[in-house]
Amino acid sequence: MTEAKAALRGPRRHSPLARSNRRFGALIAAPAVLLVLGLIAWPAVQTLVYSLQDSTFVRQGSWNGFENFIKLFSSEKFMNSLGLTAVYAVGFLVLSTALGLAFALLLNQEFRGRWLARGLLIVPWAFPWVMVGIIWKWFVDGDVGVLRAIVVDWGFAPEFVAPLSTKNGAVAIAIIAAAWRQSSLAALLFLAGLQTMPREIHEASLVDGASTWQRFTHMTVPWLRPVIGVVIILNTISGFMQFDVIWALTQGGPGNATTVLSIYLYQQLFVDTNLGLASATSVVLGVLALGLGFIFVKLMYRDKGISEGVQ
Amino acid sequence: MSHQVAQVKGQVLNSQLSRRNLLMGALAAGIAIPTLNALAGCAPTSPGSTYTGTLSMTAWEAYPDQIRANIAAFTDVTGVEVDLSLIPNVGYVSALQTRLLGGDSPDVYYNFAYASTKYADQGWAAELNEFEGAEDMIADMFPSSRGLYQIPDGRIISAPYFSAIYSLFYNKAQVAAAGGSGEPQTKEDIYNLSEKAKANGVSAPYAAYWIKNFCEEYFINYLLADGITPFDDNGAPVFADDSKTKGVLEWWAAMYQDGLTSDGILTADPGVHVTAMAQGTSTFFELHHYFLKEIRVADGPESPNVDMAYRSPGLAGTALQIGEVVQLGAGLEGERAQDAWKLLKTYGWKDEAGAYSTFISWAEQAALLAPYPGLFKEEAFRAAFPDYYDMDKLEDAFENNTSAVSARVAPWYPTFQTAVGDRIQTLLIGEADVDATIAGLADDAISAAQS
Repeated sequence: MTEAKAALRGPRRHSPLARSNRRFGALIAAPAVLLVLGLIAWPAVQTLVYSLQDSTFVRQGSWNGFENFIKLFSSEKFMNSLGLTAVYAVGFLVLSTALGLAFALLLNQEFRGRWLARGLLIVPWAFPWVMVGIIWKWFVDGDVGVLRAIVVDWGFAPEFVAPLSTKNGAVAIAIIAAAWRQSSLAALLFLAGLQTMPREIHEASLVDGASTWQRFTHMTVPWLRPVIGVVIILNTISGFMQFDVIWALTQGGPGNATTVLSIYLYQQLFVDTNLGLASATSVVLGVLALGLGFIFVKLMYRDKGISEGVQ
Repeated sequence: MSHQVAQVKGQVLNSQLSRRNLLMGALAAGIAIPTLNALAGCAPTSPGSTYTGTLSMTAWEAYPDQIRANIAAFTDVTGVEVDLSLIPNVGYVSALQTRLLGGDSPDVYYNFAYASTKYADQGWAAELNEFEGAEDMIADMFPSSRGLYQIPDGRIISAPYFSAIYSLFYNKAQVAAAGGSGEPQTKEDIYNLSEKAKANGVSAPYAAYWIKNFCEEYFINYLLADGITPFDDNGAPVFADDSKTKGVLEWWAAMYQDGLTSDGILTADPGVHVTAMAQGTSTFFELHHYFLKEIRVADGPESPNVDMAYRSPGLAGTALQIGEVVQLGAGLEGERAQDAWKLLKTYGWKDEAGAYSTFISWAEQAALLAPYPGLFKEEAFRAAFPDYYDMDKLEDAFENNTSAVSARVAPWYPTFQTAVGDRIQTLLIGEADVDATIAGLADDAISAAQS
């Protein structure tokens, strides 16, 4: 074992210094842990409790087992919403991750004005989600939208059907609008990962005669694997929890075309004030987001640990 | 010497500020500061806390400068300070409910009329009957409006923030070019004139704010215009028993499906429709009366040609009267309660001098109305409206040809309102037929009332 590796493994477990360091770490982390417990863990436990009760905003209910979940899963509106949420989340995940990676690869190249392009990359991320929804709503509007002007006035098509007026169009725009913003964050993370990649690796692969595609699949993607994992988790959770953009765009319409679970949950909680059903919906949403995030990460790292990357 | 002193001081400090002490201090601060903040955040506004002479008020962000000016005027007269909290319109309900659930109740707050009874029932809003002048406030209103503020069991639950009536705006020149004379009288008139306007090159002749949350208002307004009673005194959905309801929904679906509206009408904001009227790409626009001012102020090429109908197109010509409300937080006592009532009264009725000063300011700012006959007689109020409003006709329409539909403030109504948006948009995009939509809406109303 080299000295460096020994250093990396840290001091011996039972030395006074190690104990002191552990205490030091625990003390440093304690305020944050307490805050997380208070602001996230406790409400999460409360939500779980409410999901098993028939409580309302004004009445502490009694335990009713899984009745709320049974009601949910026997509701046609909920099941439609669940299916739509899956479609939305997958579409959002794929598009925002792919766009983010594409932007990062582009901005990792040498070209004039790269500094400006990198600066512009942050712009979508600077907009609040709800603002993104409003911007896209006007952008794709059938009367005054810029997209209409591009399509019709520039002669791409004789007529323009406002995408938000159709079921599939509304879902597509809701995905694209949210992915537009999220891809900005993904690109920043990917770009940071790409910049840690030694030039020698690419130079060596060029000498070996690897094609661009081979270099991308065999060098870049494995190197970025830890970042891809993080991006996928973030995007999966963000996709399942998306509310603001869809609310600003369509309020869940036309009809129920874009009523994803978060909007269904909003209606249960703030319109119907049905705390039990809303909490049960929250639990389903949370389990889906966390479960899928976990599965993705397991798939990503089924062969290697996160810390190993491509080394 | 000074160097030695500094050295000794440094040793003392070092011994006192050991890592352990530093961390313990940081830990304590890390816990205490957020906790104190959280506690402090709740304390000044919770009803149970000691009253310091400053009221809290929560409003959504419409004309914030005018809200501040109105509050400043109140403080000048009464000496009562008001801590104003403005919440963006998007998310107001969830933000307010979260505060109320957390025990952080404002003394006075804006609310949507449809949620007002629910808030009173949940213990989030005070009953006003015991306050001096509350009954007089109700008596001062147009009889047709009273049901929005005093519910059937006698409780007075809110005061008006503003009122408005549904109105049709029409482009006189385009209507004339389509062969019409004056304002359309029926829905069929609108359909026929829209068809001709479209043939004349108007791309989206009929505009309306048919987003999901507003479909319910249009539904009720269209029913009233054709003389259909939406709900009986017990809240039963008697619209389903009226054969004319089918005609209303058939007309509604035809307007959309026959291309007489813009195809973005299900999601477009009012600003889009105002622009369309000002530019002449729409001939008709139906929404609250104050949008006439928006269209004129937009100053587009067609803005001067746009006028307002004071009769809702339909067999009966009745329009929906809408309005949002101001409510008093629950649990207020003593001086605090009296001061909060003074603020509510100034905001939703008359100021300390007995004048409708707040409503006159809203009329000047945004052409808003209030349900008080006395207000319509005030010269300052009438003068606040631009001269393209016919104030006599507006008063007459408000008093004699509008309905507030008191079922719209029933505690079950928010659930029904959401369902209407789903049903109507599903009908419009051709995924449900008229009969199924009517039956579904009736079921929604009944099940909402039963839940």
